[in-house]
Amino acid sequence: MADASLLRDSRLDALGRLAAPLGRFAALLTIALALFAAVLVLFGRNPLRAYADIFSSTLGSAYGVSETLVKMTPLILTALAAAVPSRIWLINVGGEGQLFVGALCATWAAIHLDGLPSFLLLTIMAALGFLGGGLWAAIAGGLRAGGWVSETISTLLMNYVAILLVNFLVFGPWKDPDGVNYPQTVEFAAGAILPMLGGTRVHLGLVFALVATIVCAFLLARTRWGLEVRAIGGNAEAARRNGIPIERYVLVTMLIGGGLAGLAGMAEVSAIQGRLRPSLSPGYGYSGFLISWMAGGHPAGIVAAAFVLAVITAGGDILQMTQALPGSVVNILMAVVLFVVLARQAGRP
Amino acid sequence: MAPLIRSLLSGSIVSGTPLLYATLAELLSERAGVVNLGLEGVMLVGAVVGFIATVHTGSATAGLVAAGLAGGLFNLVFAFVVVSRRANQLAAGLTLMFCGVGLSALMGARYVGSQIVGLPELRVPLLADLPILGPALFVHDALVYAAVPVAAGAWWVLFRTRWGLSVRAVGENPVAAFAAGKDPRMVHYQVLFLAGVLGGVAGAHLSLAVARTWAEWMTAGRGFIAVALVIFSRWHPLRALAGALLFGGAISLQLQMQALGVPLSPFLLDMLPYVLSLAVLAVWGGRARHAVPASLGRVFQGTQ
Amino acid sequence: MIPKLFAMLTTLALATGSWWTAAAEPKLQVGVLHLGSVTDGGYNQAHAEGIEVMKKNLPDVEVIQVENVPEGADAERVMENMIKRGAQMIVAASFGYLEPAMRVAQKYPNVKFFHPGGYKRTPNMTTYWASTPEAFYLMGVAAGKTTKTNKIGYVVALPISFFLANINAFELGARSVNPKVETRVVFTGTFLDPGKEATAANALLEQGCDVLGVIVDSPITVVQVAEKRGAYSVGFHYIGVSKFAPKGWVTGVAFTWGNLYTRFARDVMDGKFKSEDILGGLADDFLTLAPLGAAVPKDAATLVEAKRQEFIARKAHPFQGPLNDNRGVERVKTGETFPLTDLRKMDWLVEGVVGQPR
Repeated sequence: MADASLLRDSRLDALGRLAAPLGRFAALLTIALALFAAVLVLFGRNPLRAYADIFSSTLGSAYGVSETLVKMTPLILTALAAAVPSRIWLINVGGEGQLFVGALCATWAAIHLDGLPSFLLLTIMAALGFLGGGLWAAIAGGLRAGGWVSETISTLLMNYVAILLVNFLVFGPWKDPDGVNYPQTVEFAAGAILPMLGGTRVHLGLVFALVATIVCAFLLARTRWGLEVRAIGGNAEAARRNGIPIERYVLVTMLIGGGLAGLAGMAEVSAIQGRLRPSLSPGYGYSGFLISWMAGGHPAGIVAAAFVLAVITAGGDILQMTQALPGSVVNILMAVVLFVVLARQAGRP
Repeated sequence: MAPLIRSLLSGSIVSGTPLLYATLAELLSERAGVVNLGLEGVMLVGAVVGFIATVHTGSATAGLVAAGLAGGLFNLVFAFVVVSRRANQLAAGLTLMFCGVGLSALMGARYVGSQIVGLPELRVPLLADLPILGPALFVHDALVYAAVPVAAGAWWVLFRTRWGLSVRAVGENPVAAFAAGKDPRMVHYQVLFLAGVLGGVAGAHLSLAVARTWAEWMTAGRGFIAVALVIFSRWHPLRALAGALLFGGAISLQLQMQALGVPLSPFLLDMLPYVLSLAVLAVWGGRARHAVPASLGRVFQGTQ
Repeated sequence: MIPKLFAMLTTLALATGSWWTAAAEPKLQVGVLHLGSVTDGGYNQAHAEGIEVMKKNLPDVEVIQVENVPEGADAERVMENMIKRGAQMIVAASFGYLEPAMRVAQKYPNVKFFHPGGYKRTPNMTTYWASTPEAFYLMGVAAGKTTKTNKIGYVVALPISFFLANINAFELGARSVNPKVETRVVFTGTFLDPGKEATAANALLEQGCDVLGVIVDSPITVVQVAEKRGAYSVGFHYIGVSKFAPKGWVTGVAFTWGNLYTRFARDVMDGKFKSEDILGGLADDFLTLAPLGAAVPKDAATLVEAKRQEFIARKAHPFQGPLNDNRGVERVKTGETFPLTDLRKMDWLVEGVVGQPR
């Protein structure tokens, strides 16, 4: 009897622990939605209808859900790209550039190795995407580890270099010779396209993203490596005195983070675009940084936050169809949600 | 040769001017210890409000004032989140950018394709008649002429006034500044408002003087370039002048070279400023570290 | 308190919108995607005005329009959402929508798709475009007569084949009346960056160009810069842009899609749709040469009109050999012509054009 009630209490307790942050999150979301509604009213639109449109178009049908998952995929990966280095207080704002370099490396394989069997080709593309993004980030990691340049600054600057590099290639040497001189590479062969879930655009990249989330969570929580990361994150000086090679951890966390962003780039270019072009990403790297921040770098939270932002951005074009609002208006909704969360979680570094 | 030099010089100056105002905005904030990645959004809000005000009043000067005010007020949203709510600056800045993109698109949707009388070009008497240099340097709008004085003024304010001293003190060590009787939060609010004004003016220069149109996301990344430029100039207003001219020059040079038929990849050339900034930091590593405001990225959290 | 609030909100929603009350079913729903803004005074506005004309001609048609749709991932979602909302006809009005539109078209074989400039299609897709080189040739004739410095500048987004063909035709037209004319081209690398476009325009003016042409999404910036500095301008895409150059307007070629879109919609409604590749020209009603501006010398009008009739009668060709490119390589032999159906293969700039066809 006593045992049973204890069990029930602890269950209640667990429920309560889960409910409290959820309730808080719901409250914040409500405030954000109310603020955005005020903006819409100010511009003479009906906010209730706008919300109904956003939610019904993204969550009200199987198709809507599938498109939300499509949007979530790169967001989860770029969020992890910021989250992993953040465990030792590294600030990686370079997800965007790492995504572009990952896509670039994967594209090289797709163009040059197109005779390979699909499975092998996709594996190489994913590996190159990961490696490309990872090494790109590791440059910033190296500059930081050597004490030359802060990784915040270098990752930010290297975003531009990466995007310009992709531009240089698609405007020049990699331009599709049969594509009316348009700045894009040739279309990938069928073997270089990630498999998709029957009839939708949900692709294997989503599995990459979820597996990466679980692996990161496991690595950080359950391995010796994760223990040392936590030690550095807790007190870098003490960790150094205990003989943990901090420089190596700086390089490795940046490599992993950048690699995940690179993987996002590979998945986008292979499954969604089917060729490399300059309009590869509408700022996934930056959104990912924000998601990681919202979730405090926690893997499960990242998936949840990516879901919220995916609903908002995927629902954006509906507002144009039904309310004649510019599509980028959803950026306001996204910003309002973020501002409310930011203002609420005061004092977090 | 003479037309080329004239054109290159004039093009660099015109392309560099919005960059300079934006850079000074970022530089002031960072000197006070606040990184603002949202400058792009501030510029867009300035550009669109300036344009709308000009459409309605018929006066670009009124538009400019409105743009500065709008930029300042918009940046106060960022100030509130970062200073009063002590939120993460990078995240808040990116959020501000997204907000500015959306807000400017919403406000400006009805004004795409509207016609305005832009900021007038002023000829400096006599000087404008000098060969080569005259037309390149002395036939511009008022914001171009104001650029050098504003940069010098920023230097003077930062390094020669009491207020500038407190800005730098807050940027270096807010706790000590607080102990010395300054309120770091008040200073942050003042600096961020001023930075917003400069950012708004930077945007308005694009929409009112350079292009004389409004288009969605017309800043095309210049707000981010400004963040890079602050690093390039190692947090010094006068070096920012050189940096803005160099970045503006890179844009202008590649367009010039094309018009002359010189083969040169615009993308590799565009890359140069960023690589240079990185190199500057890496090479001058030791010295650059001294130039970085010590408390950059953190705001005063009270004296608990 | 809470339920009461909710009830209030619901009433408000019911009162303010026709949310739950379905309007009378339109006969045809048309979804239109634009790359930029429909008031850009250029490419997008030309399509949007065409759609407006269609709506006026066919009151039964309802239009869902979305602006600023990026080429790539988002375009597919927008099209699918339009179809989910009942669209049976999609106009994907930008070149980069071709593959997204083809993918969606394969998924929805009963929906009819229309794509401007596409070079491949599906059984439920029609591609349409107007061949513009002849019109650019005529603009070149007018501009060649107007220029005093014999230097004409072109601000162009990207070195796309169609654009290169236009510039080539323009230069050939200008040289046909004024052998000294040189056309300088600057590519901005993007369809929309007004700041860069203004800098490019100024650079061209500084180098002595006194007529400016423009091939970017919104010609307003370049036309205004030219007008401000007392130069002439030639327009493209949208006819209304001449209001930005009351003094320096030379002429412009514009797309007037209205009748074509009306025909498309009527065919879809009547079940007469068939997949075609339409390539119109000067003789068609969807390509218009704007009236010559006051700045153009009087004799130019007769020259332009004469040449125009020759083009329509197929007695002349804009790319009549011999033609060398600007590196001295022979591209079209004497007596031959460069077929207008092969424009997408044009990757060179003709002799007399200064620029890099990268």
